[in-house]
Amino acid sequence: MTEKKVHPGVEQMKKSLTDGKCSRREFLRTVTLLGVSATAAYSMAGKILGKNILPDMVSTAFAAQKKGGVLKYGMQVQEMADPATYSWTQKSIVSRHIVEYLVETGPDNITRPALAESWEASDDLKSWTFHLRKGIKWSNGDDFNADDVVFNFTRWLDPKTGSSNMGLFDAMLEETGEKDAKGNPIKRMSKNAVQKVDNHTVKLNLNSPVLSIPENLYNYPTGIVHRNFEKEGGDLSKNPVGTGPYTLTEFRVGELAVLKKRKEPWWGGDVFLDEIRIIDLGEDAGAYLAAIASKQVDVIYNLDLTTLEAAKNIPGIKVVDIPSTQTGVIRMKVNKEPFTDVRVRKAVQMTCDAQRQLDISHQGLGIVAEHHHVAKIHPEYFALPPFKQDIAGAKKLLAEAGYPNGIELTCNVGNTDGVWEQDSVAVLKEDAAKAGINIKMNVMPMAQYWDVWTKAPLSLTSWTHRPLAVMVLGLAYRTGVPWNESSYANPEFDAALTEAESTLDIEQRRVKMEKVEKILQDDAVMVQPFFRSVFTAVRDNVVGFEMHPTRYYRFHKVSLA
Amino acid sequence: MVTLIVKRFGFMIFTMIIVSLILFMLLETELTGDPAARVLGQFSNEEQRELWREQHGYNQPMMLRYVKWLGNFATGNLGESIRFKGPVADVMLPRLWNTAILGFWTFAIMIPLSLVLGILSGMKEGSKLDRAISVFGILTTSVPEFASAVIFSALFVFGLKWLPGTSSMSGGFEFKQLILPAMVLIVYDFGYVARMTRASMAEVMTSQYIRTAVLKGLPYKSVIIKHALRNALIAPFTVIMLQINWLLSGVIVVEFFFAYKGFGALILEASLNNDIALLEACAMVAVCVAVTTQTIADIGYTFLNPRIRFS
Repeated sequence: MTEKKVHPGVEQMKKSLTDGKCSRREFLRTVTLLGVSATAAYSMAGKILGKNILPDMVSTAFAAQKKGGVLKYGMQVQEMADPATYSWTQKSIVSRHIVEYLVETGPDNITRPALAESWEASDDLKSWTFHLRKGIKWSNGDDFNADDVVFNFTRWLDPKTGSSNMGLFDAMLEETGEKDAKGNPIKRMSKNAVQKVDNHTVKLNLNSPVLSIPENLYNYPTGIVHRNFEKEGGDLSKNPVGTGPYTLTEFRVGELAVLKKRKEPWWGGDVFLDEIRIIDLGEDAGAYLAAIASKQVDVIYNLDLTTLEAAKNIPGIKVVDIPSTQTGVIRMKVNKEPFTDVRVRKAVQMTCDAQRQLDISHQGLGIVAEHHHVAKIHPEYFALPPFKQDIAGAKKLLAEAGYPNGIELTCNVGNTDGVWEQDSVAVLKEDAAKAGINIKMNVMPMAQYWDVWTKAPLSLTSWTHRPLAVMVLGLAYRTGVPWNESSYANPEFDAALTEAESTLDIEQRRVKMEKVEKILQDDAVMVQPFFRSVFTAVRDNVVGFEMHPTRYYRFHKVSLA
Repeated sequence: MVTLIVKRFGFMIFTMIIVSLILFMLLETELTGDPAARVLGQFSNEEQRELWREQHGYNQPMMLRYVKWLGNFATGNLGESIRFKGPVADVMLPRLWNTAILGFWTFAIMIPLSLVLGILSGMKEGSKLDRAISVFGILTTSVPEFASAVIFSALFVFGLKWLPGTSSMSGGFEFKQLILPAMVLIVYDFGYVARMTRASMAEVMTSQYIRTAVLKGLPYKSVIIKHALRNALIAPFTVIMLQINWLLSGVIVVEFFFAYKGFGALILEASLNNDIALLEACAMVAVCVAVTTQTIADIGYTFLNPRIRFS
């Protein structure tokens, strides 16, 4: 791909790396996004830095791995009919072995080719051309081609589908002129936004420049389904047609999913495991620990914070962890009383002692945040002045807002990622009480929480890791997008975000992020105390397992000792 | 006798209708939120929800809906489960069967054990054996299931490594996986039944006819087996029948803890996921089991105790 045309941004990035303005990781991430292959990117970085840099994913290590065997994986088995409407990563872990993505972002946050073998962006980052890999067959015998990709984009960007991908590919949408019940403009895919150039080339035409298009294409609801997906029932669990190395042979929600290796060779090379059994062990974190301790499973989806210490002491079990931008956001719905008043929101935010939150509710495992959903490990993070707890200031603001005697609030929490969520709200409750803000905690069951997460005035939602901050900000805070749970609508913020999204140079993007972060922090949309580390447990007979910051596990290259 | 049985069955059906009405009011009306929103999900718009209500008859008068709903139930049409995306009966029956297996083994061990220990204990009230059994019974019954589950897990799974930690039976039925859940249930329940048996036995042992039998020189064994046991077992019989009801709800904690895919875990999953059709079906099944066992207990009781039959 690099022979055809090298994006001018690559030269810019080379200069940044030479001048020490960006890190090796930032360099690799950005140039691979611009279409340079991972190997070429590593080699460029090696030349510039004058040392040999090995890719984090070392493919030669696979040679020693044993073929065959059944991997038992402990995770809740949920319905997984339509990949486009997934709102749980777990569903995609099952389907990821059946349907694949155009690209793949590895545990090192580097995006590599998958169904698309290469891609190029125009200089203005407004058009992206994806060259699809030839010779890939669907499990029903059909050829994988551009029609499949066009079908998927068209489906994602149809409001009737109800896919969260609409927020992700906002630059491919236009307004219909109509408004929904909340007064937000209804959008649809712009004309010619996705264009079939030939049988194996697809071009995306954007209204505004976006850097993270390839990375967006590995967001979990973007699995590429067959072009006849809807015609054939629209249910992947009943009709598991895919390009991946496995097929679904047994599927019982709440119990079990069995993936068996397909007989045909996989385009991606060796596949070691004959079978992957996904075993549902319910919602009790203790059950997962008991199952892995007694060798009933080899890997578990998540090691709960409450079982971390116990797991470390069990022989035969490895605890693996990775820093991430997973976080709990205590967001306030700006169109619901009393949060329509920014002073009330600000007062709540000012009561938060972020370090204390992290220490108490997540055992100090993570990094302190600053209420704008951008993490220090995001490449475009701009350091605003430190945010400090200010109880007196909060009291004053509250009085100005008409609550001189304090205020009663109810905060919903669903512990969708563990009880640390509830602990986080409990710490805020203690701190807020000092300023006369009495928070009542409403702890609800996990699944029930997803019924209210976009509706409740105040609640804690757990957000998963995304390699770039602009990705999550576009999903969660842009006006009118489906996952905008706080109903935040600020044209100034939208414009600032769009500008940051379209800036390739890391330094310049970082400067532009100052405005984005500041607006979000000043508008006090959320209390966001910390980003947490993620970890899980693996038995030591498992070879080649890599922890992924988004838990996008794939067992294609895993084997058993 | 026939009148009594007919009466009991009439009462049983009446109870079920009342419970079904309560269930309907709680789950099928707007009292617990919009059913359309639950089924169609959070991104659905009002138009889609209205269409769904129309298609599924939610716009009809409530009484008419209730009668139809009851009719569907009676004919075995239990509806579709939202969470499992399939007919409720298909989801529920295997789970019910799993709980029946767990219940069978629990009862098969717990009942003989508690009856024997209860009788031994009640035969000589105040003896060392009686004290020991009573204290042990109180001790085990007073430890809640979630606590004994943790204790047994710590001991047999993490400590001795004898038993598997969970009982999902994902690779097919394995008796080893049944041991821990059954053990928790047996330990919790045995004390209760044993103590009821003991009390009943002790009472019988102090009655005049037992004293007469002993004084007229009948062998002690024969006094116990022929005279005491028959009367002493009347009270435990009712208690044991009630344990079937207890098991259906009591099993929720155990099934959750050990990830056993049974009926109790299903009730919990259905309620956590707002799966209304499934929850209704589970609740109705639980009620059916409760009233049926109660009716059998009542009828059985009259057989065992003629005083009830003739009064």
